[in-house]
Parts: sequence; structure tokens; C-alpha cells
Amino acid sequence: MRPVLLPASLEELWPLMRDHPGAAFMAGGSDLLVRLRQGLVDPPAIIGLEGIAELGLVHDEAPGWLFLGAGASHTALLEHSLVQRRLPLLAQALAVLGSPLVRNQGTLGGNLGTASPAGDTLSPLYALEAQVELRSATGSRRLAIADFILGPGRTALQAGEIIYGAWVPLAQDWSLAHFEKVGLRQALAIAVVSLAALISLDDGGVVREARLALGSVGPTVVRPRQAEQALLGRPLDAASLKAAARLVRQEVSPIDDPRASAHYRRQVAGNLLLRLARPAD
Amino acid sequence: MILHFTLNGQATRVECDPDRRVVDLLRQDLGLTGVKEACGAGECGACAILLDGVPRLSCLLLAAQLAGHEVLTIEGLAGGEAPHPLQEAFARAGAVQCGFCTPGMVLASHALLARQPRPSRQEIAQAIAGNLCRCTGYHKIIDAVRLAAGLSEDDS
Amino acid sequence: MTWPRPHLQLGLPPRPDALDKASGREKYACDFYPPGLLWAGVKRAGVPHARLRGLNLAAARALPGVTAVLAAADVPGVNRQGVVQKDQPVLVDDKVRYSGDALALVVASDQATLARALALIETDLEPLAPVLDPEEALLPGAPLVHPERPQGNLLLEGRVTTGQGAAALEGCAVVVEASFDLPRQEHAYLETENGWAQMGQDGRLTMVASTQTPFRDRLEVAEVLGLEPGRLRMVAPYCGGAFGGKDGVTVQSLLGLAALHAGGRPVKMWLSREESILASSKRHPARLRYRLGSDDQGRLQALEARIIYDTGPYDHLGGAVLTLGLEHAAGPYRIPHVDLHGQAVYTNNPIGGAFRGFGVPQVAAAMEQTMDLLATRLGLDPLELRRQNALKRGDVNPVGVTLAGSTGLAQCLEAVAGHRQWKEAPAWRAAAPAGQRRGVGLAAVLHGMGYGPVIPDVANAKVELTGEGVFRVYCGVVDMGQGNAGTFLQLAGLVLGQEAEGLELVLPDTDRTLPSGSSSASRTTYTFANALLPAAQALKERLLARAADALFATPAEMALVPGAVRHRPSGRTLPLAQLAKMLSPEERTATHRYRAPVVPERPSADPALQLHGLPHGVFSYAVHLARVEVDELTGLARVTGYLVAADCGQVLNPQVWEQQMQGGVAQGLGYALMEELPAPAGQPQHTDLATYLIPTALDLPPIECLAVPSWEESGPLGLKGCGEIGIDGPLPAVGNALAQALGRHLPQAPFTPERVLMALQEDGKGAGS
Repeated sequence: MRPVLLPASLEELWPLMRDHPGAAFMAGGSDLLVRLRQGLVDPPAIIGLEGIAELGLVHDEAPGWLFLGAGASHTALLEHSLVQRRLPLLAQALAVLGSPLVRNQGTLGGNLGTASPAGDTLSPLYALEAQVELRSATGSRRLAIADFILGPGRTALQAGEIIYGAWVPLAQDWSLAHFEKVGLRQALAIAVVSLAALISLDDGGVVREARLALGSVGPTVVRPRQAEQALLGRPLDAASLKAAARLVRQEVSPIDDPRASAHYRRQVAGNLLLRLARPAD
Repeated sequence: MILHFTLNGQATRVECDPDRRVVDLLRQDLGLTGVKEACGAGECGACAILLDGVPRLSCLLLAAQLAGHEVLTIEGLAGGEAPHPLQEAFARAGAVQCGFCTPGMVLASHALLARQPRPSRQEIAQAIAGNLCRCTGYHKIIDAVRLAAGLSEDDS
Repeated sequence: MTWPRPHLQLGLPPRPDALDKASGREKYACDFYPPGLLWAGVKRAGVPHARLRGLNLAAARALPGVTAVLAAADVPGVNRQGVVQKDQPVLVDDKVRYSGDALALVVASDQATLARALALIETDLEPLAPVLDPEEALLPGAPLVHPERPQGNLLLEGRVTTGQGAAALEGCAVVVEASFDLPRQEHAYLETENGWAQMGQDGRLTMVASTQTPFRDRLEVAEVLGLEPGRLRMVAPYCGGAFGGKDGVTVQSLLGLAALHAGGRPVKMWLSREESILASSKRHPARLRYRLGSDDQGRLQALEARIIYDTGPYDHLGGAVLTLGLEHAAGPYRIPHVDLHGQAVYTNNPIGGAFRGFGVPQVAAAMEQTMDLLATRLGLDPLELRRQNALKRGDVNPVGVTLAGSTGLAQCLEAVAGHRQWKEAPAWRAAAPAGQRRGVGLAAVLHGMGYGPVIPDVANAKVELTGEGVFRVYCGVVDMGQGNAGTFLQLAGLVLGQEAEGLELVLPDTDRTLPSGSSSASRTTYTFANALLPAAQALKERLLARAADALFATPAEMALVPGAVRHRPSGRTLPLAQLAKMLSPEERTATHRYRAPVVPERPSADPALQLHGLPHGVFSYAVHLARVEVDELTGLARVTGYLVAADCGQVLNPQVWEQQMQGGVAQGLGYALMEELPAPAGQPQHTDLATYLIPTALDLPPIECLAVPSWEESGPLGLKGCGEIGIDGPLPAVGNALAQALGRHLPQAPFTPERVLMALQEDGKGAGS
């Protein structure tokens, strides 16, 4: 038996963290309890974060930013009107994350903390250039998501810190927000490749800004900068996308695993760009 | 720990380890074996319960998390002498074969109908996508939810 | 709480078991937690091939809460089990032959202690070179799985030739050739293997297990435990799925052994999903090479088939699976010259065993895709090619058996030909949006019923009028989810004129019901109902006669009505409860034994093939149609429409029949699209349901089912089996649809996005190239 601690506020949380060094944090439990079952972890205590109301908040009170609390379940985010209206890219990813049961269980903070390159919310958050807020008893800090996630399962989270939430800049209205996940089935699937794309076009249909983020093709989500650059100033047509796709295939560094080969991932990482083609007016 | 929660409408007090899996608490300690376990890892949905009305995986919940909350298992769905209309519809539509997924399927469908009383076939499929069934191919499960919703094949 | 019992009319829903299952009230084997329960579990090898030098059990035994830690020496009887050949140790005594082998058994007070004790067991294993490829396993010098066997790693080899055999290919105008590689498939029943057992004070062992074969289990477990079979009682509740994976002992011998050391307390054993995947039997991976020849009009002339099944370390039912595959290898066609050759080969891979389809899905995959290759070569419509060669009643089938019974393949083909999904196929294909390819594929399949000529395919039915005036139907064969128990109740009600209130069911129990074989082989309802109907009829006649005597009437004047016997001329009734009191228990009971007929032809003189089931005489037929859409960017193939037209004789209950078709098709589509369990280095690559993928509700299309009824004279009320014909066709139907979309067949299944995309790119047609 190990204690399960369920603080109702951050004020209650900090002393518990101090008194239970080595305790595992649990948000939805969909990752921790699976690893516990597999014998991969054996923490002396579990601190559940679900009772801390402020971790579940979603708001746009800070001008130009949308805040997504780490404790918000995927379902809560998916159904939130602010997410639906302002972050359609993230909403598309949430809609195909796991299954309804997994979405009811899992949280944004869990997805961030697990730091899997296949985490479905991560490629959108990379494309959105979100920041991750970490809190501790003594303060708060914000890191760009790319600086927060260091590798598979590795983050910049320090002892004494928790993931507080993600801040998503609402800098502009994108012409195109597109998420696609390639999995081996239509639900309960781990991404073999995912693409989150934000494209801004000028009135003439020429790309003004392009942000691409690819999941499951490297140790962390990959932003293929050369491909993004290559799209600038060009129409979003098959020719420019094919050129960018070639660059994407060079910029990703996938591995073979039982789900797919590196070769397939590389190929499809590029191919997915072609889905962005817009018919010429 | 002494755990207080509401189980199928009844105030419940039970002594258990705080880190006992809820599926074990319900099945072994409280005898609610309608809660099934088929993977233990959140991948199949057989252990689904409603926690405060939301379908959750009882293999990925710890007993302490139930404190003060409301749990509904398949045993509590009908809440009386007659079967719940969804249970009736599952039986009538042929949605039950081995039946091991059925309790979780019924609860997931129940949660769907609570927020979308007239679901399309696609919406039903999405709502039960986390509940694996190895017997039916899902066709008649979707039929059953439509039947319970009072929708015919021709309604879109 | 009492709920209204559903009405019970043959042919109409609901199934009588459905509401109890939907309410969570039905008790499966895993749902029992009797007071004082102990938990049993095993330490598994984790390596595919090794000599067992020793086990250190001291630390596990010393752990508080551990009741017993047992090894091979503790097995009191024969430490070998198996359905046909006893070649599998209950607990390993000499060497490990696959990574799921059980080394030691622990009985403990609770699950946590059990897990700790298992972790404390130290094993001393001397690694041996494993043999993992079935073709390499047959080469000289290959490591031997069972060194004592004179045939080396060959479990069973079979050959059936007719006419001039493969030599006739020389004279064919057209010959096509293809090879196929089919995956290992996991059953993935939701209820993993489990049971509980208790040694009673009377020295009898009672075991409740999730099994398809309680009567056979009793004999096997008795032999392992060194007990007289009469000292064992096996009880088989409804299974939470089985599909062949519970045909034969899973936990039962271990559980029995645990119960012998539990001091009279109940013991439970329930495999985790991970352990189930590691240890359970699977569908055999297969490699097949086909050469099919026809004349220039498309009349099939000759077939050569070479079939290799990887049967893993133990026979299980591997020989029988291969034999059924061999018998079905040439499909449902008239082919005058065949040379069919099959081998089931021992390896150190997971066990190949019974899985719905039982060796037929593999050969159907090969034959039906080869048929489409031939159609393409000839420029013939694939449906027309099948029509032209379809077996009809009176034909001699490819292994030389005259089809004397119902043979409805041609009618199934006509049903598909006239169906919207076929007629609209060209238009649907042409309407593919940019970036998508579409194909529509067919597969025609057949499936034999029962055990074949040697092993008696027998059922023993028993029906009793209880002292309370209710008819009790003793179901001797397991209902693993397919609904046969309910069908038996309905059939009894039909004969005995009773509604639900007047009927009750006893599920298989070796103390109460009579041996009726396994729930398998598309024989469950066919065989048992053939015993049940005469039993019910005999009881009915006896009751009418006794009631007539009591009322000074004649039996012809009497009728069984719900709850009573009525004297029709006078309207007087004798309640059944009252009639029962006038009868002795023997008089209130009727039994009937039925043995399914065997055919007189012997396609092979090899007694081993006959023992393993060759040949059959009664077949169901089906034509499958799959509509497939392929995404050119990802290679993702989705089945968007499905049709199956099947001849299963008469359909007693359309809904239950459709359940079988849809369920079989669903598993077959999983096999076609995503399911495979590779075992590199002898270890299953996927360990759980997160990595071994089965279809979700979003992966399957609506599955349309057309019953094409025939009348099977030998069947009860004209029916034939319908449990397996649904799984035989999806893979080739999808394969043929994909071939139409891609311009080539894929040699390796399942048809994953990666395999499809690579095929697109090799043609230089991929959109991304």
C-alpha cells in the first residue's frame, strides 16, 4: 500500500511535495498507472492533482494568450468553446486522441509531462509556439515548449515543480489550421506520424507564414524549418508542397519500431504536406 | 483508509487501501462483477464506470479518488424493477454476444445519449471507440443505441 | 430483483442470455470470489528455448502469505497435456520450448503476494539455439524442439492428390503462380483465461473455468493430477469470448494442481492480458505457394498448393488445423487435378492452435487471391470465373468427396451479382476522389463442419421435466458467446410448446449435463440440436402418453401447452407440475445421443490425416465482397462497405445468424488490415492491447449479410453451421479489392499502411513520389 494524496489547492500541494520526496504525480493516471502495472515505477507515494481546481482552468484573461490548465482533461479541452473557436488545430488533434474514455481520463499536463514524441497534443502546441508554465512553492517560470521537452520522456521539470499549464499565443488568425494523425487504426492509436500545420496566406494565396510540426518522427516533435522557409512566398500548390515535402523528409529523424519503419515515417512525413494543397482560384 | 462515496445511488462506506484499483474495489470487495476487466491498461473499456456521470476507466483509477464522488456501475443503471431502455435495446438489437464488453458499452452509450439524444451512426461509433468488442463487429451495438434513441434506420 | 424474462420464440430476438449480460448479472468464470480465496499464478520462461537446469524456490516459499510453490516434480500424474498428442508439460521438467512455458506454480493469499513470490523465483536456464522459421526448422541440423521425435520438427505432413496432380498444369492454357505470407493472429477474447477450483471435503475437485471443452478438460486434468475423472467436476459458464483459444486446457491443469495444495480453500487463477498474449495459442502463421491452371475459357484444370503452418512448440490442435486447411486448399471449385501438400512444423514460436476458421482462412486467402490473378490473366470478370467453376450439389469436390448435401455456392454468387454493392461497383470505383484509389474484391469460401471421419462427432442431449413442472434443458456444449445455449432453449420450447417461464437452462457441467464435445468446428448447434430435438420429442411423447393415461384419453387427443398438457376434446388440462408428481425422475427425463454422419470417401490413405479430420461431408458456403478505399499519401486502406452472402442451410434465428456473420467478418477484417503478432527471437512483439491492435468501432464498415438458405437434410431443421464461414473470406476479399486499386496483389498480410504505400511507390504511382 502506498499513500494517495489528493490536495485541494496548490497551498496544500507544496508541503505534501516536501514531505513525500519521490512521490509520483498523477493527473489522469492513464500513463502513471499503466507504468505502475508494468513495474516500471514504484513510487513511495502518489500525489493526485485532480482536486486542484485552478489546474483545470481554461481562460483568455491575459490579452493575446489562451491559458490551458495542466489538469484539464482532453475532453474538457475539446469541448471548451475557447479551444474550439481559437485553437481549431488543437481541437482537431484532441478529437482523435485515444478514445473518449482515454480523453476523459488523460490531461494536457500528462501529455506534456510524458513527453512522448507521439503525444497527440504536442505537435499542435509546437506549431502554436506554446509556452509551458511550471510552478513551485517558490515561484513560476515559463519555457517555450521546445525548451521544456528535452527528449522522449525527458523534460525540463525540476524537483519541486509541477506543470501548471500551457500558454498559447493568439497572435494571428491562420488561413489554414490542419492536423492529421496517421495511426494503425482509427481510435486508440498511437501516431505513426502526425502533422500539425498552420499556414497564413496573403490575399493572393501566397504563403506569408508557415509553421509545421511533426510528431513521431524524431526524439521530440520536429519543426522542419527549411520546409517552412521553402513555402514562404509561394502559393500553396502541389509543386511548392512537393518541394517542401522533400525537405521535410531530410529534416526528420525517425526510427524503426514495431508500428512502422523509419523509411515509411520519413516518406509519409513528407506526403502529409500534400494534403495542404489548395485548389487554385 | 475509510472511503465514503456514493455507489449506484447509495451512500457507501468501505475500508480499503487508498491505492487499490477501483476495478478491484468494485469487483472483489463490493461484488459488482458487472464491471469487467480485460486489459488492465485502459485500452479496452470493459471496466468503464460513470464517475460523476462521466465514463471512466476503473482500471486506471485508485480508490482514494472516489472519495466524495458518485459512481454508477452497470448494476445501478436500471435503478429499479425494469431494465434500462439501453439494456433492453442492446438485448433486442442483438448487440450482445459474449457480453463481456456489454456493460462498458452500455455505460459509454448512456453517456452519449445524455449529451446527444439523437446520435448518428458515426457519432455512436466515435462514442464507443474506446470500448473494444471482439464478437459483434459493432454493427448491432450501433443499431442498439439507435434503437434506444428511438431512431430508425432511415433517420439520419 | 426479478426482471421480466424475455419471451422465447425461435427466430425472434432477444437472445435469452442478452439481458442478464447487459445488466451485469451474468456470472462468468472470472466473476467468482468465494470467501477464503487463494490466488495462483505461474512463473513463465521468457526465453524461447532453453534447458531447465534448476529452480530456486526457497525465497518464494519463505514469503509470508505463500501457501505453496510447486514445480514439475509436484505434478502427481502425467506431466504432459495436449488434445491429440500429449507433448506439452504442465510445468517444465526438462526444457523450455517457447517463452510462455510455465516453470513453477505459486499459490498465495492475495494477488500482491503472488506477484512478489513469482518475482522471487530464480531460474537457471541454459539457453539453447531456438528454431524460429518453419522452413529452416525442416533443414538438416536444425535445432529440434522435441529431440525424441523421429520426424524431427515435422509435426504432420499431408498430401492429397487427385487426377494427374500437378502434372496437369503442363497442359493448362493459363497458369498463374503466387506466394502468400500470412500472420500469426491473437484471439483477443475479452475474458482472458481463468478459473477457480476447490478440493471438497469429499475428495472431489470442482473447477469453474472459461473453457470450450469441459468434458475433455476433465479427462486431461484428471490425468495430470492422477485422479479418477469421476473425482473432477468441471463447470463451464458463458465464456467472455473464446474463438478456439479455449479449445483445450489453458489454466485448468495448473489450477487443479494449485487446488490440491490449497488445504481445501478455493483457488483462483486469472491471466493478465500480457500473460495471455505471451502464453496462449494463436492462429498459425502460414506460407503458401499456389499454382493454378485453367483452359483458355477459364475452366479450372489443375492446382498445386504448398502449405507450411508454423505450429509452435506443441501440437495443441496444429495437426488438425493443417488438415482442415489442406482439405479446403482448393476452395469451392471443381478442379479435376490437384496436388495439395501441407506441413505443420514445430518451432520455438508461440503455440499455433485452434482459432475460428481453423486453418481455412489461410488457404482461402491464397486460393481466392490466386483466383483473381487468374481472372486478370484471362481477362474474365472475377465473379464470372467463380460462377463458372462453382461446386454444385452432386459434384466431386477437389479432394474427391461427392457433395451429396446442400451446396449453395452458386446461389450465393447470384445473390452478390444482383446486389447493389456489386452492381454499383464500377461507378463507385470511378467516383474515387483525387488522392484516393478504390477497389471492390470478392472471395468465395466454404467451410466443413464437425470432426471428420474418425473422432466421433457426438452430442448427448438431456431434457427433464422438473418436479416443479418446468422443462430443464441440459446444455452439454459450451456457449462461448455465440448464443447456442439460447437457441437450444428455444428449440426445446418449440418442441415442448413452452414459453420462457416454462423452461430453464443448465450450462455445461460434467456432473449434470452429458458429454457433447467441444464448442467448435461449426458443429455446436448442428450436432447438439440433432441430439436435442429427438430428446425433447421423446419426452413430449412420453408426457402426452402419461397424461392421456391419467385422463382416460389417448395421446393423440393431447397437446402440450404452456405449463400444462391439455385434453383437446374436453379442454381439461393437467398442469405440468401435477403431471411431474405422477412420474419418477427417470420418467421425467429423456436423453438422446447423436453422432454426425461421416462420408465414405477417403481422399488419403494416411490414417493420420483421417484422424485429424479428413474429409468432411457437410459444408457451408459464402461469397464475400469488400469495398476498399486507399489513401495515396499514407497507404491507409479502409474498408468502407462489406457484403457477405452465405448458405448455412436453414436459418433458425436471423439475428443470431447475422451476429455470427458480422463477428466473423469483423475478426477477418482485423486479420486483413491490422492484426499480426510477429515473434522476433521467439518473443511476441506485442505484449498488450495497446500494441496488438484489433478493430475499434471506427475501423469497421457496416456489414451487410444475405442469408441464402438451402435445406441441409442432415441438419437439425435443415441448418448447417455458421460460426466460421464469416472469417474465411475477408482477407482475400480485401486483398482482391486492394489489388484492383493498386494494380498488384500484396504478398504479405495484414495490409498495413506501410505495405500498401510501398506497393504504390514500387509502381511509381504514389502521389508523394
